[in-house]
Amino acid sequence: MRSIGVAAWAFCLAMPGLAAGLPEDAALDRSADIKTLVPRVVVNSGRLEWEPHKRDLSAWPTLSHLDRRATIRPQQAAYSAPLNGDAARGRAIAMDPARGNCIACHTLPGEDWPGSVGHLLLGYKRQGHADAYVYQQIYDRRVLNPNTVMPPFGAFGVLSDQDIRDLVAYVQSLD
Amino acid sequence: MKIRIILLFTLCAGLACAQENAVYRDMDLPVEQYEPHVRGDMTLSKTYPYWKDRNKLDWRLAGNPEENWKLNWKFMDPPFNNTVHGGHFALDRGESLYKSLNRDGRFAACLGATSGRLKGLRTRYPMYRKDLRRVAGLEAVIEHCASAQGEVLQHGSYDNSAVSLYLASLSQGMPMRIDVSKGPMREAFERGRQLFHTKAGRLNFACSSCHTRNVGQLVRGSHITTPYGDVAHYPVYRTQYRLQSLHLRMMECNLDAGVQPLMPGSQSYTDLEVFLSALSNGYTVSVPAERN
Repeated sequence: MRSIGVAAWAFCLAMPGLAAGLPEDAALDRSADIKTLVPRVVVNSGRLEWEPHKRDLSAWPTLSHLDRRATIRPQQAAYSAPLNGDAARGRAIAMDPARGNCIACHTLPGEDWPGSVGHLLLGYKRQGHADAYVYQQIYDRRVLNPNTVMPPFGAFGVLSDQDIRDLVAYVQSLD
Repeated sequence: MKIRIILLFTLCAGLACAQENAVYRDMDLPVEQYEPHVRGDMTLSKTYPYWKDRNKLDWRLAGNPEENWKLNWKFMDPPFNNTVHGGHFALDRGESLYKSLNRDGRFAACLGATSGRLKGLRTRYPMYRKDLRRVAGLEAVIEHCASAQGEVLQHGSYDNSAVSLYLASLSQGMPMRIDVSKGPMREAFERGRQLFHTKAGRLNFACSSCHTRNVGQLVRGSHITTPYGDVAHYPVYRTQYRLQSLHLRMMECNLDAGVQPLMPGSQSYTDLEVFLSALSNGYTVSVPAERN
């Protein structure tokens, strides 16, 4: 009886360890560097083929009911002046689908196919925001608006500190 | 003393597990009430009148790239779209596969045919299957029934979707009618509704971040459409991706939004399938359709 209690206790203590792992129903190759798999439909076949995705996505929570990993909580950015950002590099990050991809949701000058979900950033400099505020917006906007749709680029490790500094320099240069 | 120790351990175990059950997940709030009928779009994108009847689509809207999203892409469904495309070949393949699987009538019975008739079957899926003791979509049941005869038709595979497409064609023009008012289907709908608002992945998006909050807005030059009335043309022929089942479409949605996808037939995708199918209730099946 006691051993059952101990076993149950040990099992539940081990749960966070299991929880750190990946849900069983995710499309993964657990032994590969890029674990995330993409299905390929083969004509006139009853089987799917699988190939690695261009990026590993297994580190973030999924929609699986079995996924016990929590969302990273909203984080206050530890920003320190001076900015030391490069606007040209920032622009490249904003237009790159694999990095910032700001253009997907925001309208930025000199680029076709913008988005309209995010705020218009034309003339952003004239709004006169402090660098620290803009940095926080990109790092984790949930601190400023808990229900924002904007990804927490810094808190989720999508962009580095220098990337965000470059983006701040870029949007603060838009007049 | 011994009993006390056991009690203490049990209590601790209970606490450890209880803590695990309360995992923090960002939600896109509030989780909206969705009407389990296609007309619910009248309180969301309000584009429903434009695509309500596929036979009466406005060709002027269809021809205007700034306006055509208001038709919810139904101009790529038959009858407006009368081109011959890959979906038609898949339909033919599905018919011959079905006929070879159903030589003795067992396959149709397993799918849930009433006295051998498959007409209207598509409109009742997903449904709760007593024999499987779970809610299942049509493709999951096709996989199950083929496997009972020793055939492999993996959920999402070309041949599985082809059979599904053939079965859908037998319900052509009939409105979707799944019942989510009670029991396991109601529970699945509710889980699907919650999942639709659950944020996930490297960009922390929920389905609803775009498809409820920002319908009609632009993402990289494309207009975001409504989740209402989006299931009755599946499996669909994707002009860049061949034949695609609904669960494979969800995998692609996940990948595009930076979320680790799940396997076709997973519980979460099935719940989302129930949720989205209910949002197509009252909307007619029309296959084979195309999407870019």
